[in-house]
Amino acid sequence: MPRSARTALMLAPSALLMAVFVVGLVRLIWSSVVLDGQFDLAHYTAIFSRSDYVAMLGRTLRTAALTTLFALLIGYPTAYYVARYRGNRNVLLLLIIFPWLVSIVVRSYGWVVILGPRGLINSFLTWSGLTDRPAPLMYNDFSVVLGLVHVLCPFMIIAIVSVLMQIPRNLEEASMSLGGRPVHTFATVLLPLSLPGILTGTTLVYLMATGAIVTPLLLGGLGDTMLGTEIFQEVMHFFDYPKAAALATVLLVTALAIVLPIQLLERRVTRRLNGEGAP
Amino acid sequence: MTSRIVAWAVLLFLPLPIVIVVLSSFTSAGYLSFPIEGVSLRWYAEFLGSADWLKVLGTSALLALIGALVSTGASFAAAWAVVRHGVPLGGSYETLLLTPLIFPHAAIGVIMIVTLAGLGWLGTFTGLVLVHCILTIPYAYRPVAAALRKADPALEEAAASLGARPWRIFWLVSLPAVRPGLVTSLLFSFIISFDEVTVTMFLVGPFVMTLPVQVFSEVLESASPIIAAVSAALVLFTSLMVFVLDRVIGIQFFVERD
Repeated sequence: MPRSARTALMLAPSALLMAVFVVGLVRLIWSSVVLDGQFDLAHYTAIFSRSDYVAMLGRTLRTAALTTLFALLIGYPTAYYVARYRGNRNVLLLLIIFPWLVSIVVRSYGWVVILGPRGLINSFLTWSGLTDRPAPLMYNDFSVVLGLVHVLCPFMIIAIVSVLMQIPRNLEEASMSLGGRPVHTFATVLLPLSLPGILTGTTLVYLMATGAIVTPLLLGGLGDTMLGTEIFQEVMHFFDYPKAAALATVLLVTALAIVLPIQLLERRVTRRLNGEGAP
Repeated sequence: MTSRIVAWAVLLFLPLPIVIVVLSSFTSAGYLSFPIEGVSLRWYAEFLGSADWLKVLGTSALLALIGALVSTGASFAAAWAVVRHGVPLGGSYETLLLTPLIFPHAAIGVIMIVTLAGLGWLGTFTGLVLVHCILTIPYAYRPVAAALRKADPALEEAAASLGARPWRIFWLVSLPAVRPGLVTSLLFSFIISFDEVTVTMFLVGPFVMTLPVQVFSEVLESASPIIAAVSAALVLFTSLMVFVLDRVIGIQFFVERD
């Protein structure tokens, strides 16, 4: 068999799987813009003319943005500590990787046990006499963001650790020994060099937060639907596939609108860090 | 200093809900509460005595096994073509293989429901296998491609110049060189498939159900501590896989860049 035929044969299984995915994607977008066999944006006008849907979109974007922000704020220092840890780093990595690989259902359910009316926090509050009635800790924006930060934070930490581990420690030491203050060293040495990791982590966390279903359904209030949960309801309860397809397309577009600029920025940053096209 | 305090708070925060779930599964009460009111194994007995739960567990394990084998096989073949044969646009092809990872899962759910409905595979085991292969490809591809890039083709050339036949070279030289990468791909995609819920819950039906999806629908409907016992089993299973992964390739693998 000629080499090119063998190459094609080797690519065939994965190409077939990807073809199923891409064809499905095209059909999804197609079914969202067609009504009775004709091009029609009725599904979209129906979505954007309803104020509750517009509010839901806003809630989705706000929740995803808050989740990403908190994941970055707690993820960066953690990643820094892990990357610069001088002892047995594997133990720390295990504390990040293991929870990351446990099913999101189990992790979200854990928050139900912690925040619920008979959960850890309310048991303590009642026992200590601080409240005589369970505090409503669940089914609100707070519990959704908390759950999402917990579920998605490992993506951020892993992305940043892998970049930080490649930055030689002595770069920071050099900056400090030349009199740079810690804040200055961070802003001029560490932050620019770790930017690719921050961008990768931000992209992943934001994408997964906008499309999340399980965590918002378990920890969110009944009326507080998000794009993901709304799509799930349309499909499972109302069997309205065209509307679900339109909502899914809106989800893809909002996700891409944020992610594409970040990806372009990441390319530029990486190129510059590698010394290509530097001024 | 600040980073140390934040880091340890986060490192304890991440496993916390999992530990709480496992502890709460040992309750003797008929409802979920924490701290638990009495210690018993009754919910484990109920789980292991339930034909329904065990059937779902079997489905999930079989699905993850077949999915891991297929996507690792497909990834290995693709990585071989890209790394060794130098496919034109190979880099773009690798990016394509990673796209299922960066698509919002709710959108993938709808994409797959449309696809499987078209194929007549909605609510079937075959449909779930197909979707899980697509979802795990990004996880299966990276380790095996990295292993292939590290392996030295000169060893194979040496074997060939000594007169070994292609299949013998593949079996005795190429395969052992990438074995840790292959095992990592298998384990990694197995875990991802076994734990997958967001996309899968669009596609299950009366005849096929997976363990995490069943747990999810039970959590929505009841507060029975049996969910905690099943979750604890899932956690135990994941820890075993992580332990094996750490043995095979080392936990550092997850933070290494290619």
